[in-house]
Parts: sequence; structure tokens; C-alpha cells
Amino acid sequence: MKLNVNGKSHEVDVEDDMPLLWVLRDELGITDVKYGCGIAQCGACTVHVDGVAVRSCQLAAGDVDGNVTTIEGLGSPSALHAVQEAWIEHQVAQCGYCQSGQIMQAASFLDLNGEPNDEQIDQAMSGNLCRCGTYPRIRAAIKTAATKLQGA
Amino acid sequence: MRRLALALTLILPAGVQAQDAGSSAWDRIYAVASHPRCTNCHVGESGRPAWDDLGYAKDSVHGMNIVAGESRIGAESIPCRVCHISAEGANNVPHAAPQIDEAWRLPPVELAWRGKSSVEVCQQLRHPEANDGFDMAELAEHVRTSAFVNYGFKPGAGRNAAPGTTEELAEDLEIWAAAGTPCVGD
Repeated sequence: MKLNVNGKSHEVDVEDDMPLLWVLRDELGITDVKYGCGIAQCGACTVHVDGVAVRSCQLAAGDVDGNVTTIEGLGSPSALHAVQEAWIEHQVAQCGYCQSGQIMQAASFLDLNGEPNDEQIDQAMSGNLCRCGTYPRIRAAIKTAATKLQGA
Repeated sequence: MRRLALALTLILPAGVQAQDAGSSAWDRIYAVASHPRCTNCHVGESGRPAWDDLGYAKDSVHGMNIVAGESRIGAESIPCRVCHISAEGANNVPHAAPQIDEAWRLPPVELAWRGKSSVEVCQQLRHPEANDGFDMAELAEHVRTSAFVNYGFKPGAGRNAAPGTTEELAEDLEIWAAAGTPCVGD
């Protein structure tokens, strides 16, 4: 089957029910997307399909119906996404394992809700677990990113 | 018991028989409507789905601070479909997010059933303005064709299922409708 990931078209020979997560990591070698739980309980595997966040461990390859973006496609070191910039500004990441999922969820959330309040940020991000407990910085970075995106 | 039923059939007027059949059908409908597999999403204005009867504490709300909001699809924070994929799935992995070939969402708020009595749900379901605009024939058809209703009876992976089948529920709705949608206290 054909998959478009980060702007590139790929032909992959996989079973229809293989989770997108494993297609990305094992077939295409795109390892920025992380495996945490495999049952949509942690958010580490979050990517975008046509700009909307999705838990890639839950999405079967055969059900992918749009362009896939992982954090490598969200921004580049020379042209960071506003959420990535804010993450650096607030020094959010500790161990970093959950952070690609956090950033992808945050970027999708800000697309839907450009001026979120604290409660909405907490609701949107509570499905992304962080064992280092960086939650206060995540919330602060999302507010900064929202301001930047509003001004853009 | 069957002899008694037969005797009653012979001596009771047809209207009374239909009324009794309708009331019995309603009891079976309410057994479905009050089952946690249904009431976990048929919640009120809080927009917070429940996780009752899933092995967590009594009166549990959906983990991960999930709120579907006024939109009922989580548009204000995190859309339900981020985890509940809109495609038919085997749903054979315990504790994973169930998925169906429809956008996962909460039913309209006027269809809030969680914590409500049989009479309250009965009054809601027989009025189109409180049941999402369905007449009884449409409601039976909805039950037969809705991916959500079907999921409630076949949730997979050892999850508790609503009692009966979609067809039995649709037939009970038709019996209840034919009897004039009786509710206790009419």
C-alpha cells in the first residue's frame, strides 16, 4: 500500500491491520514516533493524519486515509513549528521519551482551539502521560505557542 | 405460567394485552438503556463519558480527564477520534480504545440516561423532541442500523455487552410503539 509520510510517498508491503506505529518505526525507520502502551492510554505514539492528532498504535495501516505527519515533518531545526520553539523556550523536555507525542498533540490541539484556557489545555493534554512530570512546563509552552500562532 | 398467559389472552381485551406487551417491552428496552455500555456515553451536560462497570471504582468517569464538551465530540480539547479511530475494528484488545466505522462521540445531551429512572428515560424516548427527533419507526430503524448501537451489543475483548441483540431491541421498540409507548404512571 501507499503511504504519504512527512511529504514523501512510500510503498509498503504490510498487512492491512498492522498499526501505523509499526509501519512508521519498523518498515520506514521513522523512529521519532514512540511506543508507550499500544492501547491509546499514554499518547507517546501521537502523529497527525491530515493535520489531526491520532494515536498511531490504534490506527491500522489499511485505515490511513490521509497524509501522515510525524514530528520530523512538523518542523525542521532551521524552521521549527511554534510549539517546538515554545518547547525549547520553556525547556519542557526531561527524558524526552513522551515529548514527540506531546508536541504533536499540542500542535493539533492549537489548530482546533487557538485560544485555549488552562482547563482546556489540561483536558486536551491529559491523555499524554509524562513520567518526568513536566506537565506545568507543557501547559506554559502551549500558552506561549498559542500566543505566537495568534500573532502569526 | 404459560397456561395463565393463555387464559389471560382469552379473557382480556386486545387493547389491554397490547398495553401489557408494551410495558414488558419497555422493561427490556430500559434494561438496555440503563446498561453501563450505553449510559457510559449517554451522559448529561458535563460531557464527561463514564467508565462504569469496567472494573474500576463505582461511578467512575472516563480516565485521562476526557471531556467531550458542548460539541459532544471533544472539539474544544481532544476529539474522541484521536483514540477511538473512525473505522471498523476487531476491538479484541482489552483496555484499548474501542473503534467503529463512525465518528466516536457522545449522543445529544437530551438523550442523557445515566442515573435516570425507567420512567424518566421512558418519557424521554417517546417524545421526538427528547429523543433526537425520531418517530418510533425511525427509532427502530436507527437501532437496526447504527454502528454505535451495534457496538453496545458486541463490544468485544471481554467487555460487558448490553443485554439482547439489536434486532430484539428494535422489535421491542416496535411492540412498545404499537402499544402507544406506555410509561409507568400514565
